[in-house]
Amino acid sequence: MMIRQCWVIMQRELFYMWRDKSLRNILLVGPLLGLLLMAGVYSSQRIGNISTAIVDLDKSSASRQVTTDLKNSQNLQVVAYFDTFSQLEESIKRGEVIVGVVIPENYGKDIALQRQTKVAVLIDGMNIIYATNASSAVLTVTRTLGAQVGIRTLIAKGIQPNQAQEAYQSVAFPEEAWFNPTANYAYFLVLAFALNVWQQCCTLASCMTIIGENGRRSWYQIRTSGISLFKLFFCKSFVHIGILLLTVLPVYFLAFVVFKLPLACGWSSFLLFTLIFILALHGLGTMMSSLSPNAVNASRYGMIIALPSFLLSGFTWPLQAMPQWLQHVVWILPQTWFFQGVSFLTFKNPGWGFVSHYFLALSLMAVLFYSVAALRLMVSDFPHKG
Amino acid sequence: MEPVIRVTNLAQKIGHKLLFQGISFEVQPGECFGIFGTRGAGKTSLVHILAGIDRFKSGQVAILGFNIKKTEKFKRSLGLVTQESSLFRDMTVVENLDFIAALKKASRAAVREMIESFQLQEFLTKPVTSLDIGVLQRVSLACALLNQPKLLILDEIIKDIDLFSRNLILQELEQFLAAGGTCVSTFSNFVFSQSFSKVAWLEGGEMTIYDPEGAQAEWNRQVKYYAEQSGRYDD
Repeated sequence: MMIRQCWVIMQRELFYMWRDKSLRNILLVGPLLGLLLMAGVYSSQRIGNISTAIVDLDKSSASRQVTTDLKNSQNLQVVAYFDTFSQLEESIKRGEVIVGVVIPENYGKDIALQRQTKVAVLIDGMNIIYATNASSAVLTVTRTLGAQVGIRTLIAKGIQPNQAQEAYQSVAFPEEAWFNPTANYAYFLVLAFALNVWQQCCTLASCMTIIGENGRRSWYQIRTSGISLFKLFFCKSFVHIGILLLTVLPVYFLAFVVFKLPLACGWSSFLLFTLIFILALHGLGTMMSSLSPNAVNASRYGMIIALPSFLLSGFTWPLQAMPQWLQHVVWILPQTWFFQGVSFLTFKNPGWGFVSHYFLALSLMAVLFYSVAALRLMVSDFPHKG
Repeated sequence: MEPVIRVTNLAQKIGHKLLFQGISFEVQPGECFGIFGTRGAGKTSLVHILAGIDRFKSGQVAILGFNIKKTEKFKRSLGLVTQESSLFRDMTVVENLDFIAALKKASRAAVREMIESFQLQEFLTKPVTSLDIGVLQRVSLACALLNQPKLLILDEIIKDIDLFSRNLILQELEQFLAAGGTCVSTFSNFVFSQSFSKVAWLEGGEMTIYDPEGAQAEWNRQVKYYAEQSGRYDD
């Protein structure tokens, strides 16, 4: 009879979630749509073809060499040549070009006479990501150009060409980016953004665990039936957790199998980590649900937690760059452990010794949140809140 | 014989309002105990306390010998029909019967029996939100009777419903009482006062118990008194 009771409660919860069209769509479509949109947004994987304009006030062979080097650079695309600085300024203001290079008058002469000269490089800093990429692309060109001019200057001063070259290459700084060597934005952001959509949906759904039941008049049927509330909410939660896990599986399939995003730790560890996060998140939602006077407030509480949690997780803006006090506070959110863990597990797989405390922290959070919810239910008067 | 319900010095406060100021009463096995009061007198609150839904400020309530503050065992032998439908709104009639049967650990045979007794066959696949109030109350009572309760608590069950459903419900209630069941029911229309063994009159946080004739006499007295007071009495 007890097994039948549990089975019937779980079945009812499943049907309830399925029949609630908005909940069904949020859970099924939300995360997948999020992933597909993000995959579309980051499909180019990196920022190239950064529109660049050149103002050549010198028009010498040396200045034309600069223009050629800029045209040949990997990520810059020269789209305009202006005669004056003000034309360039206007174009940057209108967003037509991101990078502007101004070659001064007498540039060629100054180089030939080994006099110091200055090529102005202007970057539109409005979009930080664009600006950073533009800066990096320009730096590649200017560094090479500077070295070439320097070598030529040394040669002009009578130093042997090979000695001049060695002087500039005596200390090499070869860059080697690990884990995401091509600085692929898709690797970095697509999964995380999709999981952010998913965790928001999960938080909102979890916030209905208790209030979705005791906020309705049908709660009277449950209260007078004498069924143990532990059994009731255990069965409901079991279904919720299963559903939340099922909704993320298509996202993982698309991310790791179709889009071939990195998964360094392997499927089993990552799924286990996800399951434990779901427990913590569902626990958090259940706790909020138990503390809310009605379903509307439960949703509001859920939104307050779910929306900023991704930003606070340190995924996009490093925790180390946050104020000291905030760096500690953000760890009370399961999302912080999750998104930090996702980074480590998908890119690096630093080993059980390192990630075990992520598993442990999320497990402890789950226990804490469910305990608070249970205590709240025990001390509550079970009033009808409708 | 031990009373089915024994309420001693029950006090209840909702917000700043003292709803009951230490009321006491007993309901004996086989009795049909009516609770009368005007709107806001506390009928529903009292019913919810007896059904173990709401907690109370002070006093003692024993149902079927169990102190309801200490145990929920009495709920195995309890059936409740609330004033406003408390069926599961996302389910059909048969789903409600099946689900509530599972909650109450009642058998499928009990479900079939209730469907027949309350003539619910044609409504089984309909969502409860689409039912007329009479059918809704039949389904509600059917759900309350699934676990063959010893005590049935009803909150305004036959108010404003169609005559067919009303007669069906009254017939089932008579059978329930004839089989030894005990019933507590609230009512706000004095027409029904003669259906009860005793009538508890709730007013101003206090309760007065009458036999049906006494309750009717008090009702008549009050009707006459207030009519005279207002100058509307024509006799």
